Amino acid sequence: MSAAGAAGATGVALVVDDSAVNRMLLARHLASIGIASREAADGAAALAALRDGATDVAVVLLDVMMPEMDGYETLAAIKSDEALRHLPVIMISGVDELDSVARCIELGAADYLPKPFNPVILAARVRASLADKRLRDLELENAAAQAALLETIERQKEELSRFLSPQVAALVSSAEGQQMLAGHRREATAVFCDLRGFTAFSDSAEPEEVLGLLREYHKQMGELIVEHGGTLEHFAGDGMMVFFNDPVLQADHVARAVRMAVAMRERFAILAARWAKLGFELGFGVGIATGYATLGRIGFEGRYDYGMVGTAVIVAARLSSKAEAGQILLNPRAHAAVEELVVAEDVGALELKGFARPLPTVNVVSLVAKPESVPA
Amino acid sequence: MTDDLAVLDSSVLDELLASVDGDEAFIRDLVETYLAEGPQHMEQIAAAAGRADAEAIIRPAHTLKSSSAALGAARLSAISKQIEFAGREGRVVDLASLADEAQAAWTATVAALKEAGLAA
Repeated sequence: MSAAGAAGATGVALVVDDSAVNRMLLARHLASIGIASREAADGAAALAALRDGATDVAVVLLDVMMPEMDGYETLAAIKSDEALRHLPVIMISGVDELDSVARCIELGAADYLPKPFNPVILAARVRASLADKRLRDLELENAAAQAALLETIERQKEELSRFLSPQVAALVSSAEGQQMLAGHRREATAVFCDLRGFTAFSDSAEPEEVLGLLREYHKQMGELIVEHGGTLEHFAGDGMMVFFNDPVLQADHVARAVRMAVAMRERFAILAARWAKLGFELGFGVGIATGYATLGRIGFEGRYDYGMVGTAVIVAARLSSKAEAGQILLNPRAHAAVEELVVAEDVGALELKGFARPLPTVNVVSLVAKPESVPA
Repeated sequence: MTDDLAVLDSSVLDELLASVDGDEAFIRDLVETYLAEGPQHMEQIAAAAGRADAEAIIRPAHTLKSSSAALGAARLSAISKQIEFAGREGRVVDLASLADEAQAAWTATVAALKEAGLAA
């Protein structure tokens, strides 16, 4: 085993002994195993050196019997100093001093080295202490790296939550996130909405006007998405796709989707009235479909979205494009789930692109007023 | 009682030499250091003995014991150990004669080291 080079790289040994002969011998033996040393003739000098920034010291070899400040006092001082207590201290002791060694071990000494010095024992004890210290330093480094990592993750989570819907941001950093992201099937409700007349508007309006209007629209709609617990899959200009019942399960996902759509329609009416004064005629249409879908990570390395894939998504998109201004169209499965909740009108069986059979569709006229909200 | 111990134990010196890979120059440096710091310890021992100061005699005796042992100065190391213990046990009456013995052993040790070619 050639720990010599590695041990040398970890720092020097501080040899504390009042006998110059002993210091010389120890330094020589340490040098032969690749460890450089500093010397101190007594405890006070050793402490002064350690506190004076001898940061390269990785192990202290400490004689028990010394003038001024003996080994016990020096050991106690090292162990009670926050900046030094991690330093391994090996006591140097004669065979007739084993009682004092036991006391030193109790005081925090790492080991002891019997006199006269045996180079093999010296090498073994010093290497063991240096290895301990390296391990400890590594642990400290790891802890620091971990703290930095956690901080980074927290910051990323915070940043992420600005880009992703809050549910997806939370999912990404949760324990079951990997599994959820990998993809799973469940019933979900997809909501597509976009603006009628937007293309014409964006052709005629100034880009600043278009962006300003979109910003306001996104802000208002975004609030309602969060309020109803929807997961926003994407914005695309004036279009938005939101889904419900994933990643967070929602027993009332269809009702949430419909309530959100109605609230959006109301909010939109206020915005539209203002835009109309500026000469912009815009309408709002929604398509909602409930069905089984696959949800999870969609995309390619470098750009992934958390998305929903399935017939319901396509149906919702088609219904949205069929919807006239102010309409909220539901597929039969969504309608069945909220029949009690809405006043709906039949709009007939719609021919949807890519679907062989026409789809019986209803438009949500309004929500059924809750009994308590009915004026007496 | 320590007269039968070798002034200089050559087996210790041989071991020491082997432990530093036969570096005789280093051993000579070590001996030089020993001879340089030894008189100081001898003086402290003599002074403490003269004052019958058991407490003050412990540390120089202890240091001399261990550095002498390291170089194979067996007799001086043994006497130093007796002084250290006498000091610890507060046997002040023994200190003066032990200090004289140590002085004699020191002189003999220096002579033996010169004879061995380890000291000038």
